[in-house]
Amino acid sequence: MELLSGWWDDFFWGSVVVAQVFLASLVLMVIFGLIGAAAKLSGNRIVQKIANGYTVVFRGTPEILVILLLYFGSAITLTWISRLFNPDIKFVDVPPFWAGTVAIALIVGSYATETFRGAFLGVRPGSIEAAKALGMSGLQVFFYIRIPEMWRLALPPFGNHMLSLIKDTALISIIGLNETLFVAKQAIGTTGKPFTMYIVVGLIYLGFSTVITLTVMALERYGNHTVRAR
Amino acid sequence: MSFDLSLIVETVPKMLAGVGLTFQLLGLSAFLGLILAIVLLLMRISGKWYLDWPAQLYIYVFRGTPILVQIFIIYYGFPQLEFIRESVLWPIFRDPFGCAVVALSLNTGAYVSEILRGGVLGVDRGVLEAGEALGLSTTQRFIYLTTPIATRLALPAYGNDIISLLKSTALASTITLMDMTGIARTIVAQTYAPYEIFISLAIIYMILTFFLQKFIGLIEAYLGRYTKRES
Repeated sequence: MELLSGWWDDFFWGSVVVAQVFLASLVLMVIFGLIGAAAKLSGNRIVQKIANGYTVVFRGTPEILVILLLYFGSAITLTWISRLFNPDIKFVDVPPFWAGTVAIALIVGSYATETFRGAFLGVRPGSIEAAKALGMSGLQVFFYIRIPEMWRLALPPFGNHMLSLIKDTALISIIGLNETLFVAKQAIGTTGKPFTMYIVVGLIYLGFSTVITLTVMALERYGNHTVRAR
Repeated sequence: MSFDLSLIVETVPKMLAGVGLTFQLLGLSAFLGLILAIVLLLMRISGKWYLDWPAQLYIYVFRGTPILVQIFIIYYGFPQLEFIRESVLWPIFRDPFGCAVVALSLNTGAYVSEILRGGVLGVDRGVLEAGEALGLSTTQRFIYLTTPIATRLALPAYGNDIISLLKSTALASTITLMDMTGIARTIVAQTYAPYEIFISLAIIYMILTFFLQKFIGLIEAYLGRYTKRES
């Protein structure tokens, strides 16, 4: 424990970075997932093909490869673009925070696409018909029937997507994001205690996963509060 | 900005030289992970708390932490501990390949045991009752009824986990192993051509994923040959 004194605040700020990446990528992941699901459900063949390409590519490629490609690739592309306007620019640095956040959101978003699509199709047609028979408008059906039923169906897999996101944040340390794994590397450089430091990182992630799991359980209970146990 | 095709032609064979290492990591970890998963599954369904609880804790810890952290704890962390340096297992933990296989197996074992448990829980109670009525013992019911049905039920999810495992093998490149990703990272560091190299490698991984999926589909069709509905 005394070994860790002096490093607590670094690990704390590393955890804050993890939380920031998680929240930012969560928002993006939902957006990518919803766009992907809408595209797959649309009647347009070309749009469907693009969405299928998206899910095949990001589910079949190692996460670390996507992160590296986005980080180094975007740096090269942005450098090239900015040189068009100002030839004196040598190199444009892309912040690892955003390259990593977008990368993991794209990866997990490809899984979320299937979740959202499945939840949309899983809404029982009978519920929709009943609501229409009761004279609800299209918007009312959407917000009072479709969304709550989709929510119930999508929540368990969505919880797993959130766990994937939090665990994928660790990979962003590879491109130099100063999150907990990165802090541990610095701490090891000074203390020479890799086991202790990486165990701390493991415990921090376990804490994050536990909080997410408990939150999802609470949300599931809330989402099902109108469904009577059979 | 240019897209150098000749560079791709030149580097793809170099990266493919690492496919053997990728397959070794995948095959060994999948095999060892499956054994571990079966042990964990038996512990969980044993009905004895002193077997069930440790298995649950194990699964919770290994599913709740990133695989990269697990790899680092084993490869960089274990040498700090004296009893590991003095144990007979030290040759394994001294070697990055051994560490990668151990970490990947421990990790996938936790996930697969939950997949198998899902399969076991999915077996129709009626089948087991019928077995009991026919005078089969608990062990016989597990071997002749639960195992084949649960295998069939768990196979699609197991296939997805094998694909996740393939993707996780790429992380071995973070502990100096020269698998396909390791080679690609070295080439990018030399040529600074991330698009050409990483996109070609992504396509190689997608082809591997595709064939793995086909292969698992064939096993699924084989195991499901009696349950196919005639239409």
